[in-house]
Amino acid sequence: MESRRRVVVTGLGAVSSIGSSVSEFWPNLLAGVCGIRPVSLFDASAYRTQTAAEVSDIPDGFLTAVDRRRMSRADRMGLVAANEAIAQSGLDLSREDPARIGVILGGGTSGLLDSEAFYEIWLNGGRGRPSRVLNHLPDAITDRIAQRFGLEGLKSTITTACSSAANAMGYAYDAIVGGLADAVVTGGSDVLARLTYGGFNSLRSVDPDPCRPFDRDRRGLSIGEAAGILVFEEEERARRRGAPILGEFLGYGVTSDAFHMTAPDPSGVAGARTIRAALDSAGRNPSDVDYVNAHGTATPQNDSAETAALKVALGERAREIPVSSIKSMIGHCLCASGAIEAVATVMTVRERKIPPTIHYENPDPACDLDYVPNEAREGAVTLALSNSFAFGGNSSVVVISRYE
Amino acid sequence: MSVITGAGAVSPLGRTSLEFYRRLSAGESAVRPYTPEERGDLQATHVARYDSFSPQPEIPAMKARRFDRGSQFAIIACAQAIAEAAYPVADDPGAIGIAMGTGSAGAGALTEFLRVLLVESPEAAPPFHFPNTVANAPASQVSIELKLFGPNVTITQKDPSGLNALLFSSLAIDSGRARAMLAGAVDEWNAVYAMGFDRVGALRGEDRVSGIVQGEGGFAVLLESEAAARGRGATILARLGGIGTAGVPTEPYRFVPDRAAIARAIRGALDAAGAPPSGVHLWLPSANGVVEMDRAEAAVMSEIFGSDVPRAIYVKRAIGEMAAAGGAQMVAACRALADGEAAFPADARPRRVLVNSFGAGGNFFAALFESPE
Repeated sequence: MESRRRVVVTGLGAVSSIGSSVSEFWPNLLAGVCGIRPVSLFDASAYRTQTAAEVSDIPDGFLTAVDRRRMSRADRMGLVAANEAIAQSGLDLSREDPARIGVILGGGTSGLLDSEAFYEIWLNGGRGRPSRVLNHLPDAITDRIAQRFGLEGLKSTITTACSSAANAMGYAYDAIVGGLADAVVTGGSDVLARLTYGGFNSLRSVDPDPCRPFDRDRRGLSIGEAAGILVFEEEERARRRGAPILGEFLGYGVTSDAFHMTAPDPSGVAGARTIRAALDSAGRNPSDVDYVNAHGTATPQNDSAETAALKVALGERAREIPVSSIKSMIGHCLCASGAIEAVATVMTVRERKIPPTIHYENPDPACDLDYVPNEAREGAVTLALSNSFAFGGNSSVVVISRYE
Repeated sequence: MSVITGAGAVSPLGRTSLEFYRRLSAGESAVRPYTPEERGDLQATHVARYDSFSPQPEIPAMKARRFDRGSQFAIIACAQAIAEAAYPVADDPGAIGIAMGTGSAGAGALTEFLRVLLVESPEAAPPFHFPNTVANAPASQVSIELKLFGPNVTITQKDPSGLNALLFSSLAIDSGRARAMLAGAVDEWNAVYAMGFDRVGALRGEDRVSGIVQGEGGFAVLLESEAAARGRGATILARLGGIGTAGVPTEPYRFVPDRAAIARAIRGALDAAGAPPSGVHLWLPSANGVVEMDRAEAAVMSEIFGSDVPRAIYVKRAIGEMAAAGGAQMVAACRALADGEAAFPADARPRRVLVNSFGAGGNFFAALFESPE
């Protein structure tokens, strides 16, 4: 194990409701800017709720008009974030062996917004343009990124609902450690669609107002959309080529709750298994954890179960460290949530600043940790966890540390 | 390297891995013409649906209603793999996980939920269906039903999704995340998806010589480290020799008959296994009816194997093309190595089997399975 290859992060890209680059997104996170607004992508008047964290600006001017027409919204957001991350990494793709660079993303809704329109026309007896369903499958963005940047290595798309991107980063990590790739473009891009908006509303899981993670009066999540892309690279080669090393991906844990399709294990035992698996993978102890970027969806069940899981897994340490949910600002970005939250977590260990949980007013006895209420904070964070828990009991926790 | 100690299949060509392989190797096919009612105005003429499928006896009727079709396929196939491996799940449920490939899982729930939402109203959409619209429903239902606490992922990356799940599984075992993994693939046929694939020109039909025939089914193998399998005295069906992959930059939906990429994937699998081409006795082609791709595969096989191109069993001619076909190829490879008699004279049982799985979007995988002896 001594000689295990290490994986560092050399590039970050973000498209979110509060900024379409890391340099916009990060200061807005620290300032507690809320991106949850009235839905404009489709007519939401017949739904139970009418708000979501929509992306208002996709700066895809580097794509041709033809490209843009062929692509889904998720493709374009993913490409913008990938473009930013690869530029920051300084990878000169004309000099790299393309077969050693992979693309592994978390995916879900992909081109669903377009397929929904096609399906609606068909249900009404019409025939929509077939080009509208070409981007339906979640793997479209992975292929698009490989196409755009000429990458010929391992490609994969993980579809485990809200833990998709966290698991994709884990697969990317294992692929680099296992010698299958030297660098992987990873993360995810996921967009608003009527299926997911209607689905969470049908389960009565959406708060009509901006969500309030860990607050006593939380009433559910706010759905968001985002792309978060990270360039993972084997450490030696990143150092050799003088790449900017923004943080280290120390490992991850992936487990099944084997409990219920939609409900978390309220005792926290299942979530604690994932956290422990992540720390084992990273070779670290609970006492090493300085910060947790929570899953923190603001559903009544998740936040108390996640709090319990942190207490079971970390013991007393859970009470000593800050835990925050950026979903209070950018909503739950579903299959990309683990990616955009990992971008924030890398920035946290790098800048030593902790984003807040906004809309937090009333403490809940079942959620009794330090949730960094409403104001960002300075903090010496060396090692952080980022949690992702999904439908199906698909849980994943990633471990990110300051690179030193 | 990991070994396979159990296999499961729920397919229109057999409801156990043994029956599936026996009928496959005997040259049977489940591909049939569409009935006029199910065909409607599709160009496509043929399909390989599992018409006679019933989730009983494994899943009681009351319980089966909670699962979508793909989850039913997956639960039964995975339970078969665990049973054949005699794997003691309950001894350490955290040590065993699952990775499934799919292209269509969730389609039934997704199209029904959306139909009501779009035609009636968002408020009328049935909440019962929403959790099953996610592609990970089958693998997650397996983890809940069989009480597996280990890694749990679902992979969607075109036709090679099954081999991609196998690669994830072998990494999970090598890295110590799991001691055993169910690796497989699952797909369900769905009328709306068939219409979509038909409209984009992907299905072989009256005026389309080149294209796929859709199928459905669930397939799984139980993968574990060789040391663990030997330690518990398990019967080893096959050893995973190696997996090769290659990507080609292209549009997500385009088939690129790139010979260099095909060769890179196949040679990657052979090299990882340390196997010379002359040692491969059986080939389960990727060939799926996309003419240019099938031609390129045959040409590359001739290039690599010369006059020694291994005997082929065309799995997709028998059960159609889907992400799950890769799972079917894995299962067939293991059965050929473990029980070759059905297709091979006893003295010519294959020692090495090559599985090719190539998809749209420039996705190429190959895997080599070897006899454990």
